[in-house]
Amino acid sequence: MKWTGDLAHFPYPFKDSTYRYSNNSIPMKQPFCIEVTPSYKKEMLLKRKLLSDHPERCYQSLPHSITGQWEIVELLIDHLISQYPQHFSVEKENNSWIFFNKILDEKVEFIFGDENSLSCEPLFFISHHVQEDLIYMRQRDDDLYLDAGQLCFPANWSLAFNIGMKFKNIHHPIPGFKEEGLDQRILQFLMRLEAGTPWERLNWSLMAGDRLDTSLETFDQWGKLRKHVTRENAGELVHIRVEVQKLFRLPRTNSILFSIHTHLLSLEQLSTNREWLQQFYEILSELHAHIVEYKGISHYKASLMHYLEEQLERVKAT
Amino acid sequence: MYKESTLSVQISSIVQETEHVKRFTLEIAKGKQLPRFSGGSHISTYLETPKGLLVRQYSLTSHPDDCSHYEIAVRLSEASKGGSRIWHQSMKVGDHLQISYPKNHFPLSFKARHHVFYAAGIGITPFISMMQELRDKGQTFELHYASKSKQYCSFYEFITQHYSEQSHFYFSEDNHRIPTLFLENHLVGTHVYFCGPETFIEHFVKAAKDLGYPKKSVHQERFSPPQLKRVKPFKVSLKSGNEIWVDEKQSMLDALLQHGLNVPYSCKVGRCGTCELPVITGDIDHFDFFLSEDQQNAQNCILPCVSRAKSDKLVMEIK
Ligand code: HEM
Ligand code: FES
Repeated sequence: MKWTGDLAHFPYPFKDSTYRYSNNSIPMKQPFCIEVTPSYKKEMLLKRKLLSDHPERCYQSLPHSITGQWEIVELLIDHLISQYPQHFSVEKENNSWIFFNKILDEKVEFIFGDENSLSCEPLFFISHHVQEDLIYMRQRDDDLYLDAGQLCFPANWSLAFNIGMKFKNIHHPIPGFKEEGLDQRILQFLMRLEAGTPWERLNWSLMAGDRLDTSLETFDQWGKLRKHVTRENAGELVHIRVEVQKLFRLPRTNSILFSIHTHLLSLEQLSTNREWLQQFYEILSELHAHIVEYKGISHYKASLMHYLEEQLERVKAT
Repeated sequence: MYKESTLSVQISSIVQETEHVKRFTLEIAKGKQLPRFSGGSHISTYLETPKGLLVRQYSLTSHPDDCSHYEIAVRLSEASKGGSRIWHQSMKVGDHLQISYPKNHFPLSFKARHHVFYAAGIGITPFISMMQELRDKGQTFELHYASKSKQYCSFYEFITQHYSEQSHFYFSEDNHRIPTLFLENHLVGTHVYFCGPETFIEHFVKAAKDLGYPKKSVHQERFSPPQLKRVKPFKVSLKSGNEIWVDEKQSMLDALLQHGLNVPYSCKVGRCGTCELPVITGDIDHFDFFLSEDQQNAQNCILPCVSRAKSDKLVMEIK
């Protein structure tokens, strides 16, 4: 699913010409957890199909997460109606809520806090109205646990595998994270996250193809495209995958909502911005081998570099 | 300097709870909602005074799911130079003020199988919402509450009305004190929580430690003392022998960046931990919200986006 909006709005993830793992979180300027983009309808259709065809892959929850799930419903509806009043509204009478999604022409009635008033769990319900993937990290004693989540567009990881895991264990596969003590530092940062002061960060990787749903479970379907990248087709086939990740403290359960909005941009599109092209080329040239490997670029890095060099020459010539 | 986001509220009622304690109800403007909170949460209140802004923390004693108002209980402290005196003597129904979002530094343990609360005096306040939360979840708890007398005992009626089975009172006027011996009789899986004057907390923490209580089963509420920011210029001396001058108006991070040092950073408000640098010698004045107390006291690292030197010079490991 390609970027169809204005290129100026693409969340370009780099600020330097080198890339290292670090806590690149910053306080949000506009404290909204969700964003409705031009591809809302198309993505909601895809997301809903995945949720109904593969519920165990896309949705997991532990029984004690229900209060937190309601908290997420309240936060997201609040953000939807205050940021997009033309598209979303809610009528509340005590605990009886009627939620309107005008883009999809839908109306949902329920009693806030009463699970039986919905046909599914609260997090599952609200997932059907936002493009973001939603992860609920429960603070239990001195750690954070993945206690519920809706994940349709993962960058090669599995929710079913990670459910119930602690923050550090979730990040175990990342090279150097533990050795450099980054996992402890980031956990410490998250434990101090406060309500009213949400944070965001950008994560990036590259992929062959433009699928949003690249779960670990379906690697056999999308992973093989990596072998088909050539210098001729790299611009069209290879995409930079940027995740806008947001972190909100949920004060009722003293837990954290981690939302992920995934955007894809073909390298062809990226190359139309001269500075991006130059910087991206420098970053890839210098990127440590273990990160190249972790992000799944090793297979086609050579073709990719050829493609970028050609683009740079083309730009210089004009 | 970093300023947290706040909520605007109005005092809608004031109740004299005991001779020294008043309860204040804080309401948000009509049509808006206050955030829900978890048991044990507190807020910071911002009081405008002729001498500047006074920030004081108080536990929330209202129901965690009540989004229309918050309640706090303030004890007039004799030693008070500001906070509680202003609350008691100047604040009136109808007054507006800013408060923080709810924060929780005293959360209930998730894995505890039974919770025991030890309170002295105004230290009862965080337990009010904690007991509510446990009741809603159907978990077991008990409260041991020391006070001077029934008359001076805040929330006495409320507690006897709602939690009579779980609660035990100890009035020093009747020569009753909470025996630390109780700690010996708790079943495995019990978590204990202490809140009250510093001496009370220390006494119980020590007793628990002597009994070999697992550290993670012992919880205590301490409100951080207000930070005074003394900002003065200082020097940073680098491994290369170069010295960099940091004046009052700039952060140490900015000074280092200006001199071409490649220090990573992200938030610039002392919260993300990215800009951390090792310090060899020098006294550090920590202003961050990231390092733990132990890490700060170790005096061997600094977050230069907000923290500074107390001494005239910091000697750094960086080149
Ligand atoms: C609290 C919510 C968070 C959750 C649930 C989460 C989850 C994940 C997961 C599932 C992965 C993929 C691991 C794998 O390969 O299996 C990952 C990767 C990663 N996470 Fe997190 N994360 C969170 C917060 C953060 C934060 C605050 C940072 C700050 C730096 C961070 C940094 C990273 C990095 C650098 C990677 C590697 C990504 C790449 O190179 O493509 N995470 N995270
Ligand atoms: S830059 Fe975030 S703590 Fe200094």
